[in-house]
Parts: sequence; structure tokens; C-alpha cells
Amino acid sequence: MTGISAREVGVEFDGRVALRGVSVELTERRIAVIGSNGSGKSTFARLLNGLVAPTTGSLTVHGLDPAHQARELRRRVGFIFSNPDAQIIMPTVAEDVAYSLRGRGLARDEVRDRVTAILERFGLAAHADAPAHALSSGQKQLLALSAVLITEPALLVADEPTALLDARNTRRIAAALLDELPQQLVLVTHDLRLAARCDVALWFDDGRLIAQGSPAELLARYEREHA
Amino acid sequence: MIALYRTGTGPLHRLAAGPKLLLFAVIALTLSLLAPTLWMLGAALALVVAVYAVAGLGARELGRQLWTSRWLIVIMLVPQLIVLPPVVAVANTGRVVAIILLAAAVTLTTRVPAVIEATERGLGWTRRFGGNPALVGLVLALTITTIPVIAGFATVIREAQAARGARMRLTTFVVPLLVMSLRHADDLGDALAARGVE
Ligand SMILES: Nc1ncnc2c1ncn2[C@@H]1O[C@H](COP(=O)(O)OP(=O)(O)OP(=O)(O)O)[C@@H](O)[C@H]1O
Ligand SMILES: [Mg+2]
Repeated sequence: MTGISAREVGVEFDGRVALRGVSVELTERRIAVIGSNGSGKSTFARLLNGLVAPTTGSLTVHGLDPAHQARELRRRVGFIFSNPDAQIIMPTVAEDVAYSLRGRGLARDEVRDRVTAILERFGLAAHADAPAHALSSGQKQLLALSAVLITEPALLVADEPTALLDARNTRRIAAALLDELPQQLVLVTHDLRLAARCDVALWFDDGRLIAQGSPAELLARYEREHA
Repeated sequence: MIALYRTGTGPLHRLAAGPKLLLFAVIALTLSLLAPTLWMLGAALALVVAVYAVAGLGARELGRQLWTSRWLIVIMLVPQLIVLPPVVAVANTGRVVAIILLAAAVTLTTRVPAVIEATERGLGWTRRFGGNPALVGLVLALTITTIPVIAGFATVIREAQAARGARMRLTTFVVPLLVMSLRHADDLGDALAARGVE
């Protein structure tokens, strides 16, 4: 039961419509979400791990119903935000990553080994005992990624993960997300070059999913309309 | 005040988090209950100096902690000096400062995960009465983690205002700080939920 399936999903906040009638079946590995400010991209992303509940319609994410299995879903779906500072829970880098494994009944050594491995993978091993807030923004996003991926989620949702990063750090995060992950990825982004590297693109406008298809085609149209 | 952990091998570093927190609670409580005399103040300050010396934190760290608490000292001392005899005002303020410095000694020598673990174990019994020890531990961790962030906001605001030639006033400082902090709290709440914290 992999993939995302939405049937006529609508979301309202105090009578204000954020998403309307979204129906989609997604089994591709890398899914780009594009659209102008306020079009409903983040709302769609947040539906996928139960941060937001559908007001109408039905949704299945990797076999789970977010409305009734939110806790289970959050264990299976990782989420990366754009604000690098607001994702840090523990004071040091290693402690923050280890925090993701709490309550899983793992032995101390096991936790330490897994933390070391993931920090090495993302080039943070030298900073393991450093205060997390002393990292650069790019390193903080890599830390957020480490803290999420250490739980081996089936789906990773990233809402503008590179919004606050420079070109070099954007490349590093993009490589990690687009080239190095085995799991399904939903990438919300205003950076069309990143969207172009995905397998499918979704285009939101005024709360509606107005187009879906191969990124090359869709992005060309999107750029034409926003020129 | 609340400080980040500093690596070390002194006796205070080696003391387990549970007993250390318990010891701190007992001392803090005792200091709060004693009468506000110069004897009490002298004993409290001697204890602080002894703790910093034994823990290997040194006079430098003690000075730094005192310096970070300077505004708090002023805020506590001035109104008391107006309404209370000077000895009482000084002794009252001194004991609070001593407790703050001892709290800093605890956070300087204890890793946060150890503090959380000890808190969760120590408060385990409150679960029967609807308590949530895991939440207490988390709030503790977040407080320590968030202090540098808020301090960073303060710097950003001061610099932005200086860049525009604005003079520092309390209202023009507190309001943006509050707004930024609330925004941060909002984002942090999302991140916590996404990381499976209920
Ligand atoms: N928690 C909320 N409460 C009220 N309204 C909200 C909330 N979250 C989103 N909205 C509204 O829903 C609409 C869609 O917002 P959303 O954040 O999904 O857009 P977005 O495409 O992510 O925009 P951006 O590119 O600016 O991030 C907007 O009109 C927004 O004001
Ligand atoms: Mg958004």
C-alpha cells in the first residue's frame, strides 16, 4: 500500500477555503508541488502527515487514513519545514537527532551508532557535540533532514526546504532529497529547477489542483503564464 | 542563567542527574525558607563559590553567569530597597541570585537528555494523577534549546533598529521580540507535531 490517494479533498479554515476538490493518485517517487503564494501547496503538504485534516473528501497516505491514524502516520511520514531554526528540539546536534528515536525501545549503543552513521552521511559528524543553533542555515536543514531520515520514513514531505538557503546549500539539500533518497518525496518549491528534477509535478492555483503531469511540460506552461 | 552544557570531568559532572537535581531542589528550598539575614546571604554565596570551584567551572564562568543576570538583579533589588530595610532587600535578592547561579551550575554540568530522563523517572508517580512527566522533560529541553534563538532575535531587532537610526525604546523592542517569538513558537509547534510529539 504505497502512494497517496486523494478523493475530492477540501480544506477550510474558519470558513475560508484553502483547498477544494483535490483528487489525485500518486505513486511516483519524486513529486513536485508548485503554485503561487497562497495557492494551497502547504495545506496539501500538511494533509499528508495529519498536521491538517480534510474538511471534506477522503485521503489515504501509504495505506493510512490521516483523520483516524494520525499518530501512526507521523511515524511513517517525515516532514521538513523551511525555517531551519524552528525544527531544533534538543541543544546539541547529536542529541537532536537522537531525540527522533526516543520511545522506540532501542539500546543506547544502537541509538549512538545510528546517530553517528546519519551524521556522517550528511557531513555533520564533526559537529555532533556542537550546539545545534550554532550551525549555518544549510547545516541546520541537513540536521533537520538527519533527524527525520533516522526514523526511516516511508514518505518525506518537504515544504520549501531551500527557501532560506544560498545556492551551494540548496544544491546540497537538493542532492540529498532528489538523488540520494529511496523513499517517496513530496517537494513543495518555488525553485522550478528543483521541480524539473522530479518525476511528476502538481500545479495548485487558488486551492485547486489545476494541472498534473510531466515536470518538463507543466513547468514550461507555468513559466509562460507567470512571465 | 540557564546555560548550555560544558564538557568536563569534575565531581558535579560525574554526579548522576537525578541526585543532582534533587540536591539542587533541597538547597533552593532551604535558601528560600531561611530568614533574610546577612548570615544566610554569606552562607549562600559561600556555597555558590564552593560549588563553582569544586565543579571546576571557575571564577570566570561564575562572573559570566553573574553578568548575564545583572538586569534581573537590578529589577529585583530596586523595588525592594524602596519598601524594605536594606539588609532584607539585599539578602532577599542575594538568595535568588544564589539559586540562579546554582541552577546554572546544574545545567552547565548536566547533559539535557540526562535531565529529561531524570525528570521523567522522578516524576513518574505523577502519571497516576494525570501528570505528564514526558511533557515536563520536553519543556525543560525546549527552554534550554530556545534561549539562544530568542537571544538571536533580540540581536536582529537591535541591529535592524540601529541600521535605521532608531533609538532603543522598550516598546519598539518588546513588541517585535514578542511577535518573532510567537512566530517561532508556532513553527516549533508544527515541527514538534511532525516529529511525533503529542
Ligand atoms: N492555519 C490557517 N488558518 C487560516 N488560514 C490558513 C491557514 N493555513 C493556510 N491558510 C490559508 O489557506 C490558503 C492556502 O495557504 P497555503 O499556506 O496552503 O498556501 P501556499 O501555497 O503554501 O502559499 P506560500 O507559497 O505562500 O507558502 C491561504 O489563503 C492561507 O491564507
Ligand atoms: Mg506554503
